[in-house]
This record gives sequence, C-alpha cells and structure tokens, in this order.
Amino acid sequence: MKKILNRPADYVNEMLDGLCAAHPQYYRRTGAEGRVVVSTSAPIGGKVGIVTGGGSGHLPVFTGYLGAGLADACAIGDVFSSPGVDLMTDAIRAADGGAGVLRLYGNYGGDRMNFDMAGEMMEMEGIRTTTVLVADDVSSAGPEERHKRRGVAGLVLCYKMAGAKAAAGASLDEVTALAQKAADSCRSVGVALTPCTVPCAGRPTFSIGEDEMEIGMGIHGEPGVRRGPLRTADEIVAEMLGMLLADMPLGAGDRVAVLVNSLGATPLEELYIAYRYVAAALGGLGVTVISPLVGRYATSMEMAGMSITFAKLDAELEALWKAPCDCPFLKV
Amino acid sequence: MAGALTTESLRWAVVKLKERMGVSAGELNELDAALGDGDLGVNLMRAADRLAEDLPNLPDDIGMALLRCAQAFTRVSASTYGTLLATGLMSAAKAVKGRNEVPWAEVPGLLGGAIQAMSDRGKGQLGDKTVLDALEAARLAVAALDDPAAMASEAARAIAGAIVQFRELPFRQGRARIFGAKGIGRDDPGMVALARIVESLSARPG
Repeated sequence: MKKILNRPADYVNEMLDGLCAAHPQYYRRTGAEGRVVVSTSAPIGGKVGIVTGGGSGHLPVFTGYLGAGLADACAIGDVFSSPGVDLMTDAIRAADGGAGVLRLYGNYGGDRMNFDMAGEMMEMEGIRTTTVLVADDVSSAGPEERHKRRGVAGLVLCYKMAGAKAAAGASLDEVTALAQKAADSCRSVGVALTPCTVPCAGRPTFSIGEDEMEIGMGIHGEPGVRRGPLRTADEIVAEMLGMLLADMPLGAGDRVAVLVNSLGATPLEELYIAYRYVAAALGGLGVTVISPLVGRYATSMEMAGMSITFAKLDAELEALWKAPCDCPFLKV
Repeated sequence: MAGALTTESLRWAVVKLKERMGVSAGELNELDAALGDGDLGVNLMRAADRLAEDLPNLPDDIGMALLRCAQAFTRVSASTYGTLLATGLMSAAKAVKGRNEVPWAEVPGLLGGAIQAMSDRGKGQLGDKTVLDALEAARLAVAALDDPAAMASEAARAIAGAIVQFRELPFRQGRARIFGAKGIGRDDPGMVALARIVESLSARPG
C-alpha cells in the first residue's frame, strides 16, 4: 500500500499538527505530546462538557467533531490503539465547565478500561462524569447482546444530538440520558472491499480477494458476518438494509437520520449510488429521511467500503439533529 | 504497635521504591523481554521517578495521595501492568478518601478491595499466575497483623512463596498465555515486580 507520510512513528502527531494548522479557529492542543485536542470554545462555564477519544485512523472521527453543538475535547491514541488514561483525564479537565462531563465514545475494551479509570480519577478530583457507549454495529453481536456491539459511524449522530442537548443548557443527567437515547436509536452496518495498512505495522490488516467483499467488517478489520463475491451496488445495499431493518424495524410514519459513509477510499459517487437505493427503499416503506449525510464521516484510513447508519428520531432527537453545529466536517 | 498509614508512610515507601527500582529494573526488563515488550522495569522506574518528584506535593488526605500514586503509573505508560497497579491504588484511594491516617489493621481490607478491582478491570482470576496471585498471598499473610514492619516482611515472604508455587504452572492470562507449556518454569514478571516492590518496604524502621 502506498501512503503519503514521513516517518510512520510521526503519523499521528504530524496529522494533528496539520489539522490544527488548517483549522486554528476550531482546535487547540494540550496534554502529553499534544495528544488532547480541545475545541477553542471549551470549556464553557455552566455547560456540560462532552469528551470523546480513541485510536487514530478514523478521521473525522473522533477529533474532528469538536465545536459548537458537538463535543468539547478528545484524547487521541496511536493508529487503532486506545489513548492512555492520562490523556483522557486531561481531556476531561479541558472540557469541564463546572457542570460535569459526559464521556461519549465507541464500545471498545481498551477505551473502556482507560476511560473508566479516568472517570474514577476525575470523581476523586471533584469533577462529576458519566459514560455513554455507542454500540451501533449490528453485525458485531446479536440483539440480545447489544452491549457487546462495536461503536462505528453512529458516533457522529450521537455527537451531534448530545452536543446540541448540552449546548441548550441541559444538566449532566439530562445530556447523559439524551446521549443514551441517541445511542440506542442508532444502527449501523458496514461492508469492506479492501483492507487498510497501519503505518507502523506496514502491512494490510487483513487480506481479501480482488473480487470479494465482506459484509459486517469492523473499522479495524474485525471479522464480519459474511464474505462473498462482490455484488452490484443495489444488491449490497439491499443486504445491508435487510440487516438494519431486521434489528430495528421501520414503518410508515417513522422519521430517521441516515448516514451513508465512506470507510476511506470509496468515492462520493458510489456513496450516492448507494444512497439512491436507500432513499427509494425507505420511501417505499413510508419512512421520512431527515437531513441525510453522505460522505466521509467515519473512516478506516484507506479501506474501501461503506457503512450505512440509521437513527430513528422522536421529536426531541429530530430537533437536536436539526439544531446548529459547527466544526470543519459538519455544519448545520 | 501503634501508628497508622499516612502520607508520610507513602513518602517513605516511594523513596524505598525508587532506590529498589534503580537496582531491579534490569532484572524486570529481562524477565519481561522473554514474554513481551521488555519495558516493565523501565516503566516502574519511570513511575517511581515521577512519584519521587511529586513527593513534596502529596496531600495529607491519604486517599488523594494514593490517587497521585495511581496517576504516576498511568502517566508514564499505557501498559496493562501499570493500569492494573493504578486500578488497585485507585480502589484503596476511594476507600480512604478524606482521611489523614488509616490504621495498619485496615490494610488487608484495602488489599482485598484492590485485588477485586484489578480482577474486574483486567478480567483476570486468582490462579492465572499474575500479580493478583502475589497480592492475594500478601493479603493472606498480613490479614492478622497491624505492625507495618512485620506486614512488609511477611508479605515479602509470602510473595516469594507464591512465585515458587506458580513457577511450574502455565500462564493463564494476558499475552504470556500464548506461551502455553513453554511458560512452565518461568516466573511471571508482574509477580516478581511486586516482590521487589514489597521487599523494598520490608526494611521499614516501623
């Protein structure tokens, strides 16, 4: 795999250098090696802070979604590895405006262990914290084991809705309950066509035939539910929709947020081909799509493939989904 | 014997730990290198150095002082061992927060709480040939004691015994588990590290 980089060991820090150089009005850095990125507006006195974090390699997740109506601070690990506890505590301190801090992140073991510990430490220091895990990948565990599911592109929708709730002045308990409701409303499924390469490892995360695809693969190359010959766009999307709707049935009158997301290499053209089918299928069910997103929102570096996320919206979630937000990767 | 665990006791322990890591870091690195990264001794030495720098700032609230100790471990490395030790320290920190002294007789209970918290977080069990087994041996050895010098020396002796007891067993947890039968005859680096830490305290003046 060809990559544009200098030393692999500098990949993450140089990425952050560039991100902050390009968008200084949005992001500033703190913490060891500058591995905590903070919204320039944070902390806001009296507002509940939202922190997130995780390994690098998924931009704009996680760091990108800091800003007005979104999250406040992010702890950043190496590619595909959890940031340490100290970065998470630094992120929590940076996000704390005196009203407590929600930890909102994807359901991965290493991140949970470190964020739980960071939360314990911050409680000792007098900052109240809560946790909401996003576990939206329907292919990673069955409905009876939803708590084991991985967190993927649904994070973006959760940042948006929880961020809007916090911006509206809600309390920590209210923001936490809302974030949990948003997380519970999200379902995602992905399809991978090619692997990606972690810079320091230098070889692809998995191998897959030139004419194959894998439905349900995770954003770190975790095994999916089915590998088979590459199908047409409509066939692929139909299979993915079938998995989403089996897990969360939708019918006439339902309103949903939809994200059709590139895992990195898949171009917008192909995403729109997929969205065209999604829109027709949902329309056929009498489901109304609210402000869909189509683009590169949660990636796995140069992996080819896409994910589809639905969030079923009630009136409160819909209002928050439509509320203003502002970061370089998402503006409403 | 009278007296209690205070922040002053922690300061004394940190000085001893730092001295001991200066001697033992190489041994721990070597043990660890046979099974993994080989940075166990270095990480413990860095944690001890950071703690030593922080000594004047340690608060009198023993819970908050233990929190600082936990943070020293998480700050110097993201290793599982450091995170586990920090988890144990945090468990004790929460249990005694707000107090400036803790009777020595409460220490076995704090150890028990730490073992439980570490087991929960690391998904490890007693018998897996990890630091948990060394801690449990120490807890049992000090269960009826309230003299710090006796506690430290009995704990050190019990940990040494646990290391011998587990030497001929396979690793059942963590990355060393993949060594299977080849792990037989090898000591767990985390258990040995705890042995060195506790040995450093057994020269306690009382």
